[in-house]
Amino acid sequence: MNSDWDLAVVGAGVAGLTAARVAAEAGLRVVAYDRMTPGGQLVNLTTLHDVPEPGEVTSSAGLLGRLVAEAEAAGVTMSFAEVTRVRAGAAPRLETSEGEVGARAVVVATGLTAGRLGLPGEELLVGRGISTCAGCDGPLFRGRAVAVVGDDDWTAEEALELAEVATAVTVLVPGQPRWSGERVGRLAASARVEVLTGATVTALRGEGVLSGVVVATAGSERELAVDGLFPYVGRRGPGALVDGLPTDEAGRLRTEGGVRTAVPTVFVAGDARSAATGSVPSAGADGEAAGAAAVAMLRPAGGPGLRIVDPTFGVQPADSAAEAQAGGTADWSEVALFSNSKPNATELLRGVGERLQEHWELPELGFASKPNASAAADKDVIDWLSQRYKMVLVAVGD
Amino acid sequence: MELEKRGAVAPLLVTSTFLPLVEAQAKARRVTPRIVVVPHPVGGLNEAELAERIEAAAGALLPLADEARGSA
Ligand SMILES: Cc1cc2nc3c(=O)[nH]c(=O)nc-3n(C[C@H](O)[C@H](O)[C@H](O)COP(=O)(O)OP(=O)(O)OC[C@H]3O[C@@H](n4cnc5c(N)ncnc54)[C@H](O)[C@@H]3O)c2cc1C
Repeated sequence: MNSDWDLAVVGAGVAGLTAARVAAEAGLRVVAYDRMTPGGQLVNLTTLHDVPEPGEVTSSAGLLGRLVAEAEAAGVTMSFAEVTRVRAGAAPRLETSEGEVGARAVVVATGLTAGRLGLPGEELLVGRGISTCAGCDGPLFRGRAVAVVGDDDWTAEEALELAEVATAVTVLVPGQPRWSGERVGRLAASARVEVLTGATVTALRGEGVLSGVVVATAGSERELAVDGLFPYVGRRGPGALVDGLPTDEAGRLRTEGGVRTAVPTVFVAGDARSAATGSVPSAGADGEAAGAAAVAMLRPAGGPGLRIVDPTFGVQPADSAAEAQAGGTADWSEVALFSNSKPNATELLRGVGERLQEHWELPELGFASKPNASAAADKDVIDWLSQRYKMVLVAVGD
Repeated sequence: MELEKRGAVAPLLVTSTFLPLVEAQAKARRVTPRIVVVPHPVGGLNEAELAERIEAAAGALLPLADEARGSA
């Protein structure tokens, strides 16, 4: 059976972008799928700690820009579709939200799902008090009390970031903390942070909006009044995405050493891999290894091989002209603002929008916003805005 | 960027730290967004500081918007 691609990479975070770049540089035809936008976790983080080396910090946006640019330059094709199933085997097939494709090899780099406690009513409170992005949603809790659930280095960093705005940050550690000694010191030095070990959240309080949690510690249970809850536990790997591959208890794919799985054509890189350490440098190293392993598997004879250049590279897909026509019948008096809901974003947009309103003598301005900063824009809202308005002024950043 | 792909003119007010991210995403999506860069950060500014940012952003946006309307 013919394959559409030499390598299909599922997930374009640090691991996926790196694997895709390495394979494309070796001359393979590579597609990288992402159901959202490239970057994965990096999109939610402002500052990366311990990157590139322990004790150092790096700008997340800068690193992401570089990873995407390098993958692009190497000839990786980015596809913004969700992969719903990988049928592993000698000639893998991928089911995606945009149809089925074949690839000679697959790298699974889907990362993990967002943290969850697994409690009744939890999903309804996401974006209404529950968040997993301190950088995005932290400012919403200025002057209020929040709780953070987790035990790793990144939980500690998120708690410290929240302590810059919240009045009180209670860190609920299910067992014992795994964070570094240096972070123990920084948490202890913050007057706003309290760490409770052996603490389990047993219930959520709040009608429509979170107002508190019930916390059980050895032998006792108590109510904790908080407006914000940031869970970094219960994150799940891609589980059943790939047919027939064994997973661990967190749904991460088990390997046979390194990034190789029991199926020779399927590799796994980054947080999705069982036993991954869960950091940007280790996701990058996994991506390098998975890209190189895919190249070695597809090019066993060695040598640089022929580089196949995609003749359509850089050409707009055929449907983009049709999409561009779909802008509705709005005229230039129809202008709207679309806020990302970060602090002051709406005020900035309204201020700039009013200037445009005066300048063009517009009767009114439309308005839409994301429910919270860490959520992706709702497809229906995008549909509505693009049908109803000629121009939409969008806020990005913080 | 999705809005531009669907035919709406969608200028982005981007804070400076997010510029590399937006540029990378635009490249990956093969679109050329209309960008107005606003110095980072915006959250936490007081009224006077925010008014300055609005002034500067409007100064960049209005010609860009006029051009988009003129060339339509
Ligand atoms: C709150 C927090 C703070 C952190 N801070 C740091 C830090 O300071 N320093 C550090 O080194 N590490 C940090 N980490 C860890 C680090 O961010 C991750 O280990 C790393 O980014 C994982 O990269 P990845 O490529 O494996 O997965 P991800 O970054 O999760 O990327 C996976 C991508 O796959 C896509 N995807 C998933 N499923 C599908 C599908 N079915 N089809 C298509 N696409 C799909 C997703 O949309 C996503 O873009 C932090 C993690 C968290 C949660």
